[in-house]
Formats: sequence, C-alpha cells, structure tokens
Amino acid sequence: MFVRCARLLRLRCRMKLPLPCAMWLIGMGLAATPAAAADVLAGQPTDLSVTVYRAPYRNSGSINLDYLAGFALVSETRTVLLPAGMSRLRFEGVADGIEPASAIVTGLPSGVIEKNRDAKLLSPSALIESAVGKPVELLRSSRKTGKTERLTGTLLSDADGGVVLQTAQGIEALRCSGLPETFSFEPRSDLSAHPTLSVLVRSPIAATRQVTLSYLSRGFDWAADYSATLAADGSRLDLGAWVTLANSNGVGFPSARTFVVAGKLNRENGEVQPIDLGGPILANCWPRGSTSDSPMILRMDRELHFDSLTAGLPAAARAMSLQEAAAPAAQKVQQEQLGDLKLYRVPDRTTVASRQSKQVRLMDRSQVPITTVYGADLAANQLAGPAPAYRLLRTMNNAANHLGLPLPSGNVAVFALHEGETLLEHESGMRDIAVDEEFEINMGASPDVQVSQAKEASTADFAHAEMLPLVPGVGALRSVKLDDVIRVDISNARAADIQFELRLQLPPGGRVIRADHPMDAKNGRPIFRLKIPANGTATLRYQRQHTADRVT
Amino acid sequence: MRVPLLCIGWAILMQAGSATAADRVLSVTIYADDLALIQDRRDIEVKEGRQRIEFQDVSAQIRPETVSLTASDISIVEQNFDFDLLTPAKLMEKAVGREITIVRVNPATGVETKEQAQVLATNGGVVLKIGQRIEVLRDDGLPVRVIFDRVPENLRARPTLSVTVIGAHSGTRRATLSYLSPGLSWKADYVALYNESDSKIDVQGWVTLRNSSGTSYDNAQTLLVAGSPTQADGGASIYRPQPRRPALQEAGTESGSRERLGDYYLYPLAERTTIANQQTKQVSFLDVQGVPAEHGYEYRNRWLGTAETPVSAKSVYSFSTSAHAGLGDQLPAGILRFYMRDKRGDPQFIGESRIDHTPMGSTLSLATGDAFDVKVHAIVDKRTRLSPFDWQTDMRYELTNALPRAVVVKLIQDGLWGDSSIKTESQKSTRRSAESAEWAVTVPAHGKTTLTASFETKY
Repeated sequence: MFVRCARLLRLRCRMKLPLPCAMWLIGMGLAATPAAAADVLAGQPTDLSVTVYRAPYRNSGSINLDYLAGFALVSETRTVLLPAGMSRLRFEGVADGIEPASAIVTGLPSGVIEKNRDAKLLSPSALIESAVGKPVELLRSSRKTGKTERLTGTLLSDADGGVVLQTAQGIEALRCSGLPETFSFEPRSDLSAHPTLSVLVRSPIAATRQVTLSYLSRGFDWAADYSATLAADGSRLDLGAWVTLANSNGVGFPSARTFVVAGKLNRENGEVQPIDLGGPILANCWPRGSTSDSPMILRMDRELHFDSLTAGLPAAARAMSLQEAAAPAAQKVQQEQLGDLKLYRVPDRTTVASRQSKQVRLMDRSQVPITTVYGADLAANQLAGPAPAYRLLRTMNNAANHLGLPLPSGNVAVFALHEGETLLEHESGMRDIAVDEEFEINMGASPDVQVSQAKEASTADFAHAEMLPLVPGVGALRSVKLDDVIRVDISNARAADIQFELRLQLPPGGRVIRADHPMDAKNGRPIFRLKIPANGTATLRYQRQHTADRVT
Repeated sequence: MRVPLLCIGWAILMQAGSATAADRVLSVTIYADDLALIQDRRDIEVKEGRQRIEFQDVSAQIRPETVSLTASDISIVEQNFDFDLLTPAKLMEKAVGREITIVRVNPATGVETKEQAQVLATNGGVVLKIGQRIEVLRDDGLPVRVIFDRVPENLRARPTLSVTVIGAHSGTRRATLSYLSPGLSWKADYVALYNESDSKIDVQGWVTLRNSSGTSYDNAQTLLVAGSPTQADGGASIYRPQPRRPALQEAGTESGSRERLGDYYLYPLAERTTIANQQTKQVSFLDVQGVPAEHGYEYRNRWLGTAETPVSAKSVYSFSTSAHAGLGDQLPAGILRFYMRDKRGDPQFIGESRIDHTPMGSTLSLATGDAFDVKVHAIVDKRTRLSPFDWQTDMRYELTNALPRAVVVKLIQDGLWGDSSIKTESQKSTRRSAESAEWAVTVPAHGKTTLTASFETKY
C-alpha cells in the first residue's frame, strides 16, 4: 500500500505539483528512474519549404479537391533553445497527414535518441481515458442555488462510453442523476492540441540551434491545367498552363518556398497510424426508460438519423478556374532537372494555406502550329455502325513548333474564338509528354464525320469478288487464304477537306494483305491516311489474311 | 491533507493481493509482423495459501492463452482473463437484488433526502423497491443520485488478467509475467541521399515501431527482432496481380556483428524507452556515408506485345550492402526513401522502394519511379506462322532519351517461356534465364536508338 501511495505521488509530480511532491520523493528515497526529460517546445517555423508531388496513380487529368491523393515533402526550420541534458523537443503544428516514419531532423547537437508521434490529440474523451485509475475532481452544481460542490475522487472506468467514479460517499456514475456534473482535471502537457512530432535528444551543453524537420505528408496534390486557344483558321494555337496545387491539411504553410515535381515516383502503400481526433464525453447511463415511454421510440431514432444525414457538409467549393487570359506579367515557375524528375520552383515565396488550392503560371507559348486530324480506331473485320470520328490536334513537342519543354500531365481545355468571344470547345486529360514527343490533344467526337465498317464481299464467292490491290511490301501470296472484303465508309459534313486516319486493331499474327488505299504502320498498327473532300464521302476497302482469332 | 486520503481510496480500490509496481522491469520484444513478447518482472506480495493476483496494466490486446507467471514458492491454480467492463449500465445490472442508496434532490430547495432502495430490474428502465412501494428511477425526471457501495468483483475499466496462486509462505518475491500480444509492430525506414556528382549515397536507417495495443509500456527495455515467427492463426497470403520487381539482385553471404536469435537479427534499443499507446516511435540504427551507388534505367516488356504509347523506363539505383564498398550491415525489411539535392542544394524526395530482410553483402537494385525523359516503345512489327506450332515475332523497341546526356537502358523482354529463341537481333542479348532476354542499350543525348529482335516461339 505504501508503494501504491508513492506511485500515486509520482504521478502527481508528473502532473506538475512540484514542490511538495519533490519533498515526498526525496524523503522516501525512491529508486531512481531515468532522469525525466525536460519538455522543450520548438519555436514557430522560420523557414518553410513545400514540395508537392502528384497522385502517383493518376496518368492524366486534374486534381480532385475532395480527395487529394498526392503528397508533399515539407521542410521546416525552427529555432530551438536546448537545455543541457535530456530534453523532449516538441514540434507542434506539423501537417495532419504526416507520415511519421519519413521524418528527418537535422541540426541537433548530438544524436537523436528517438522520434515520436503521438496519434492522440487533446480532446474530452482523451482526457477521460487518460484519467482512468487516477484522481479527479468532480464538480456538481445546484441549479437552484448555483453553488458548486467539489468532490475529489477516482475515475474507475470509461468503458463503452460510460463513466464510473468513486468518491468518499461511494460509487456513482457520471451524469446519471440529472444534476449538472463534470470533471476538473489536473493540468497536463502530454496531450497536444495539434499533431505533434517529438524528438528525444541529449545535449552536452545548453545551446540555441536552428533545427530542420523534414517529412512527407499526405493530403496534397497538383496538376497542370492547360488552356489552348485555337486561331480562327485552326492552324495555330496559343498554349498556356497553370500549375494547380492544393493542400487539404488543417495546417497551412505561410511564406513557403514552394516546388512541384512532375514525373512518376514509386510509392509503397505504407500504412500510417491515423490520428485519433477524440470525441465528446458520452457518459452513457443505465437504461433510463420511464413508464410513459412508448415503443415509438425506435422510429423517432430513425428520423433523427435521417436528419443528421441530410445535414451533410456542403460540397467543397471548386476553386479551379477554366477561364484563360493569363496576365502577361504572371511569374512563371522555373523548371530544373531533379534526377529523372522535373522540379518546378515557384519564383517567390508563397503561402500554401490550409484547405486551399492555388495556381501558379507554368508556361505560355503562342503560335504553335498544329494539324487537325480526324480519326477512328476500329477492330479489323468487326462490323460497326456509323459512329462519329474523333478529332485530334497534333504537333511535335520541339522548338520548331514553338514548344520543346517537358509538359507535365494534367487537363487541357481548348478554347476557340467565336464572334470575338472565347468559348470553351473541349476539355480532355493529357499524360506527361517529354521533349521531342508527339503531342496530341483529343477534341472528342465529331458528329460531322461518321465512320462505318461493313462486310462487302464474302470470300465464298471469290470468283466474282473484285480483287483489291496488294498492300506494298506484301509479295504475291496467291496461296494465302483471305478473309472477307471489309468496306469502311467515311462521310464528311464539314465545308472543308479533312485529313482522316483509320487505325486498325488486328489479332496477334493478323495481317492486312490487300487494300485499295496506301497503308502505313504507326506504333505497330496499320494505319490508312485519307483525304475526305468537303461535304463528301470516301470509301476504303481492305482484306486481311485469314486467321482463326487466337484464344490465349 | 488531501494526498493521504486519496491513497487510502486507491488501496481499497486495488484490494489486497494486487500486484505492486516497485522496481518493475518491463522488457518488450517486438517482431516484425504485429506481435510482441512482453516480459514484466516485478516484486509481488504473496500471502500464504490461496489468493488472486491481478495484473491491470497488461496489454489490452493480450493473448491470454500465452500468459505464464513464474515466481519462486508459488503454485498456480488458474489464470483468468476477465473482459466484463465496468459501465454504469453493468453496475446497475449487477446490483439487481441488492441495496443501493438513492439521494433525492429537491429542485426547489436543493435539499437532499437519502433513502435505501432495492434494485428489482433494469430492463429498459430501473425499477426500485423503496420500503414497501415500487418506483421507477427518475420517472418524473427529477434529479436522483444513485450511490453504490462497491464495484462488483468482475467489472473492470479494462480487460484484466488475474492469476490464482497458492503461496508456500508469505513474503515479497520476484515474479515474471510473460505473454504475447498483437498491436505492436516495427519496420525499418531508410533515408538515402543520392549525390549525383560523385554517384554516392548516404544512408540512415531508423526502426519505426508502432503501438496500437491499447496500453503504454513505461520505461521498457526494447528489443526488435527482424523476422516473423509463424503464428498459428492469420498469415493469409496477399494477392498480387503482378509480381513485384525484385529488389535483391544478388543475395549476400557476409556475417556482421549484429546479435542473432536463431536465424533472426536482433536490434536492441540502447536505452530504456516509454512506448506510449497510439505512438509511432523511431530509433536510429544505421548511419553510413559515401557508399558508391549506380543510377540506371530499366524497362521490362512483360510479353511479346505492342504498347499503345511510349512507356517510361524505370529509374533504378543500385548499391551493395557489403562491408567492402557498401552499407556494411544487414538491412531489416522496410521502405527506403531516396532524396536528391536540387540546384540550390535543398534535398528533395525522388521516390521510395520496399526492401525485404537483406543479408549483408547483397546487391540491391531499387526502382524509385518512372523516368520522365527516357521512354521505350515496344512494337510487334510482324508475327508470322512458320508452321502449325511455330511462330515468328519481329519485335522493334524504340528507345528515346530527352536528357542532355547519354543513358544506358537495361531492356528486359519477359514472357519467353523457355521455348522462344532469338533468331536475329540488332545487338547481342544476354539470356539471364529461359524466361527473359536482356540488352544494355545506349541511347545518345537527345537521341533515339532502335533495337530489333526476332523471336521464334513454339506454340
């Protein structure tokens, strides 16, 4: 029993009742426990840097503000006054999405003994939970007189949301009597209001240090948002882009050096211990039904539930702006090579605020020559009814075409001029494009150009079938058995000639043997390039080698 | 004085025979896969004869079937694990048939009236017998305090372990309580800073341990075991649609100075530490500077097929864990994060990769991500049937490099099944296994290289 008392006293000491406790402890000559580490709070960040990485599994398209799946490397420099000896250095206000395993602390005098992140935050339920088995003060007030009675007691249990305590009078449950009751707790420093990382260090001397803490944090993302403005004749476009970055953490980063990184990084899906945000003190009681309760109570519950559902949060405001017209003076990010990635540096310090999306100019290029091509992707020999062709704006990402810079993935909005006004024409996703790669913007389906594929002649009636010319490169293969003649009809309802490309998908080992138009190959697939006259039609016929489609 | 009064309250609550905590030595041994062995040595007071000893501060996730208590001159009768929790509802339920004290509070005057009552039932509401009358507790909504005189024996704030023992004689003795508990786990986390100018890496290793067991372990001696002893339950295999890219290129054959347990390596923490509940804790175990590392590119074509668009090659860093020109240590499984300095010297994150337990002397090759500027486009130029079960596939690989320096790409063609042979190729390949062929292709700065190969496959 004596030992119990001593332990209790020690507990009270830890809760900062210094003087009498210390005397007690000395008096009792307790076995020495390791010297308690002094609690040192690191100063507010003096220098911040945030590098935002994209969601690793998104190949194209813009960010989703409701779920930012990317991450960021955050570096904070803080000034620390370290006393001699062991101290627990606390960094308050790190991002809630911190991956504690990634934290790096540099600038400390000697080795870091350990780094900790407590997932528990200061909350009513955390206070109760940590007070179980410990002395608490119960406050009970009279509604009539306003007088508050203070009783010391011990918290016995907080299991399943109910609170049981013991006072000198006996055992009671919190807030079951109908009287206003609450607890008053000892002051404590081990629960933080904000996510906190703490480091245990030993310093030989007292010193002031600049300490840098770096860590990876979830809840960030960025994408490039391009806007292209087509010239009236459709032969050139002006291409501009914003870097859109966003932070969904509850912590903001004021006046931070800001970077974004393009390229695909390998990320392991490491599990991070979620932060326990705590909750209210529930103070569940024993059954409190009265003689007037009716079985209707169940239905009331359901209605309540319904109410709480409809009172949902409003949808997050979309801060993304489609509208173009970048201020010509907008400062652009500077690109540099980082290993095999592209690093973009925001020229000036900026504030990456909590739950904010922010845009910085990425690039502006004008008069980029483009070709407009219509196309269709068809599986060879599969009949397809009239379906619209897609339109592509095509150029090469090189200096000759006024480009020649890495284009990070994102979203492209294409605007066209219409009676002096700029209107949105189409929007599509775009993958990472390196220098000297072909750059295509998909403009979506074009109902004016329709493509259909049909069987024209069956090989059964070979004698009467028209013989198509051989495809160049194919020798006279009289012995090769051919499939049906397939006819592709393309119609053009536009008032101008168009370039059309038909790409065929063949089964493994399949070959096109005969065709009435010149055939080429692109990316390992046969391609026919045709010119369709204004308001006209074109017909293309081909015949492939007979192959029973292989089942793998 | 307030303090002694509290102490008396505490002692009554804990009751005689409960384990005391003087000179307690806690050792926690944590295995890699969510398992820990906790050994709790402390002095306990044992009386002569039969008694119950309670251990309240054990892991909340204790596996009670693994508990063992050893102490001199005691014999163990039984071990119990009680998980009936102390809540107001349970307290009232267990009071059925017993006397409680109710205190009625007059809402107008605040005057308290004390009465004895017997609890008859707690079904939906509390029914009391006061004197010869029956009442429903607080049916009128007026304040009524209920005071219980004791907590029923089986109700506790936390699940509790108790051991009934017979002491040969009374006195204090050293006892060791040991048990297994899930909820504690650890892994390694590495920080590698790659220096591009001299191709060297600095590597720091940290063990990251997590406690979600519901209990804190104060001032514990901590030992980490790099290995996972098979547990009878669990251990379900993980579905992986594609095999991982192997990180280990060559398994090492060197021994270090680390402690071992059987075939596992041990990582004791130098100092006692407090592992708080819901805490993630990191302790350093490795710090090596200037290890030679190689940066390269790798592209793996899984079968003899065409890709719709050029695909980025993987950016790969390889280094040795050998004592000579390497990290010089075994590496417990974990995640290695790569950093590189930008033009102004700030370290930036460039990707991460998982490694398994790696013996010393191994060669590791870790992919950090996709190279933005180095791409490979695999194309089937032609597939011809040579005979009913014999096919020829002409492959063309277009490798492009938008970097201002030449790069070497390790191009791997998988899916050869051992029955494919290379008939012609524009560059000599090495066949690392029947399954795959490999080329080291040099791509000039801002340039393009085309590699062709023709495969004959029996099918």
